[in-house]
Amino acid sequence: MKKTILLGLIGLLIMALIAGCAPDANKQAMLVVSFGTSYADTRELTLDATEAAFEEKFASYDVYKAYTAQTIIDILEERDNIDVYNVREALEELKKENYGTVVVQSLHVMNGAEYDDMIAVIDDFRDDFVEIKVGKALLTTHEDYEKTIEALSLNFPERADNEAIVFMGHGTHHEANAVYAALEYAFEAAGHKNVFVGTVEGFPEFDNVLARLEANEIEKVTLMPLMIVAGDHAENDMGGDEDDAWKTMLKKAGYEVEVYMHGMGESQGIRDLFMAHAEEAIGE
Amino acid sequence: MKFKVKTWLSIAFVIILTLFIARPWIEKGMNHLPVGEYSVDFVDNSGYRIRLERPADTIISLYSAHTENLFALGLDREIIGVGTSDIYPYQVFSKEIFDYKSDPEKVIAARPDVVIIRPFIERHSPDFVKGLRRTGITVVSLYPDNFNEFDDYIMKLAMLSGKEKVAERLLTEFHEELATLEGQTAHLDDRVGVYFESSDREYKTVTSESMAAYGIRVAGGMNVATDAVPIEEGSSIAIYGTEKIIELADDIDVYVTQRGVMGAGGNTHSISIRPGFDVISAIKHDKVFEINQKIISSPTFRFVKGVKALQRAFYPEIFDAVQVNQVITREHLSEILVMYGHHMIFVPTSSYYRDEDRSHYYGALVDVTVNHPSFDMIETALSKGYFESVLVEEEEYFYPENTVTREEFATILYMINDLSNVEIEISDIDYIENERIVQAVVSAGLMTLDQGRFLPNQGVTRQDVIRGLGL
Repeated sequence: MKKTILLGLIGLLIMALIAGCAPDANKQAMLVVSFGTSYADTRELTLDATEAAFEEKFASYDVYKAYTAQTIIDILEERDNIDVYNVREALEELKKENYGTVVVQSLHVMNGAEYDDMIAVIDDFRDDFVEIKVGKALLTTHEDYEKTIEALSLNFPERADNEAIVFMGHGTHHEANAVYAALEYAFEAAGHKNVFVGTVEGFPEFDNVLARLEANEIEKVTLMPLMIVAGDHAENDMGGDEDDAWKTMLKKAGYEVEVYMHGMGESQGIRDLFMAHAEEAIGE
Repeated sequence: MKFKVKTWLSIAFVIILTLFIARPWIEKGMNHLPVGEYSVDFVDNSGYRIRLERPADTIISLYSAHTENLFALGLDREIIGVGTSDIYPYQVFSKEIFDYKSDPEKVIAARPDVVIIRPFIERHSPDFVKGLRRTGITVVSLYPDNFNEFDDYIMKLAMLSGKEKVAERLLTEFHEELATLEGQTAHLDDRVGVYFESSDREYKTVTSESMAAYGIRVAGGMNVATDAVPIEEGSSIAIYGTEKIIELADDIDVYVTQRGVMGAGGNTHSISIRPGFDVISAIKHDKVFEINQKIISSPTFRFVKGVKALQRAFYPEIFDAVQVNQVITREHLSEILVMYGHHMIFVPTSSYYRDEDRSHYYGALVDVTVNHPSFDMIETALSKGYFESVLVEEEEYFYPENTVTREEFATILYMINDLSNVEIEISDIDYIENERIVQAVVSAGLMTLDQGRFLPNQGVTRQDVIRGLGL
């Protein structure tokens, strides 16, 4: 009898241990994934603020963050003693902490190469959680374009017919690069005249934008980053004073130039859209 | 008999073991060379004795400073290969690239007389270096740990290539030039306090023995971080930390940050936004300067350029005092604009050349090569977009002696100011290429009309420049 009780207790202990190690579906984590930035000022205003908004909205989730740019992670660790997970490390941590439900929300502009890389890592962890869901990047559905335009246009200055807004996006070799031209088209369709979109490393290029400015008889341009953070690209490639910065090239061509040095992550409308994508993922 | 065999075996074992253990020293001493007369005979920085019967005729240099110095010594044909990150001088782009991180076979196949490396490569890729040595290629490892070893280092490069006389001349000129520069600020009683950031990781500075600290002294500055302790013996790098930097806030008149390499100092923007840094005098007064590592911490003759750049950053009232000549050539206006804007001279990093869409590449001008007296001013003016180079049969020209037209000057004024586009009446507007620019510049009062005409193709005058820049 004693033996049976003892065996039973041991059995219970083993079961408890197994249960303790297994993912707990009620334990929910939200992993917010962005490219990252080494610029502390814009990070606070964009990424940190967006993560804080997620924490507030998704109170039943524990919010974690990860960056996809390993170089940025290394700089932050070595320079500022700030530890940020990459996606794999973050998922390892969530697994260790026995989270059962995980929602990963991308803070990328498009479902491009960074997004694909993120999905590839997530796929390695599919069996480690009861449920793992992924929220899409900013520009996915047509409705996303409309909401993005609505949010971004709140920051447009009052402008005359000969004044334009030029967005600078990053650009990519990935097929998702089409979002830039599509966004420009969508701005036009939404009634925003003279809003042009170019990229640093993809299509449309600066020369394409310049041709659009000329064709539309523009004389004054406000440059805005089509990037979540106003980091290195915005500071140097867009608003810098070297010969290849867009500001310099535009001035040389006789355009008055204003620079709006704020990442899209500062916009509440953009944050709301990311959070809506996370909600959609939860509801799937 | 049995005992004797055992003894012989033991003796043989001891001999073999001794030879095996002593192999590195034996290799260093012998270096597989026959006995004879050597025109080159010295010990390198990895402790190897280097002996060559005659100077090398074919050299592969795997470190950017070696490459740069070999070119400075007047070599070109002899340099048959360079390292992966070598970008200076521009001739390196015509050379084959060799990578010490890959297989040594490519180097072996090129059959160089000498491969010049630095001790770092020996530590990082020992198998690569051993592979070269085994085939009998003379591998020379050189690196001067501090400024005092610079001359000896240059002379070793010169010995290897038979350029001792050139080296002696260059070193004499180099030291004379540094002495002249030092003399230019010797009379100053009130010296600027300088903090030099070598890396923003752990907020590192440099030690007093480093080239950069020496450069600061020669340029007339006072390094405020004299108590910096090297991270290891012999290193020129020292961890300093934000607290100590902030403690010196009032003494730091100029904040110099070294850029251009991985893990370098922060940029002007990132330094200005650091928590607590707003109390630093240099940050309050916009006195943060970025300097490329290649001209201040690298053992090359370009160190003189680094010192000159520091002088301008420390004492702009003396070294950026603009003198305007009667004739405004492209060369002269470049100099005026760089000094007027207090721009640090432009020095590219290796990523610069990866951009394939540039209309101009640093160092590519046929008529303004690295030895041109205004090379840095012209390249800096080009890097700011003030001028364009001219492409003739796929070669780039600057035409430094050409004069600057009034419309060209108007464009520069438009670029360096934030002017509003205003339409005004100009009678010869049809001859103007960019009406908006000229109208804006004239309506802002930066340039004037002559009886209603702008005369866009006439040469800009001394008076135009003085008026336009408000000198």
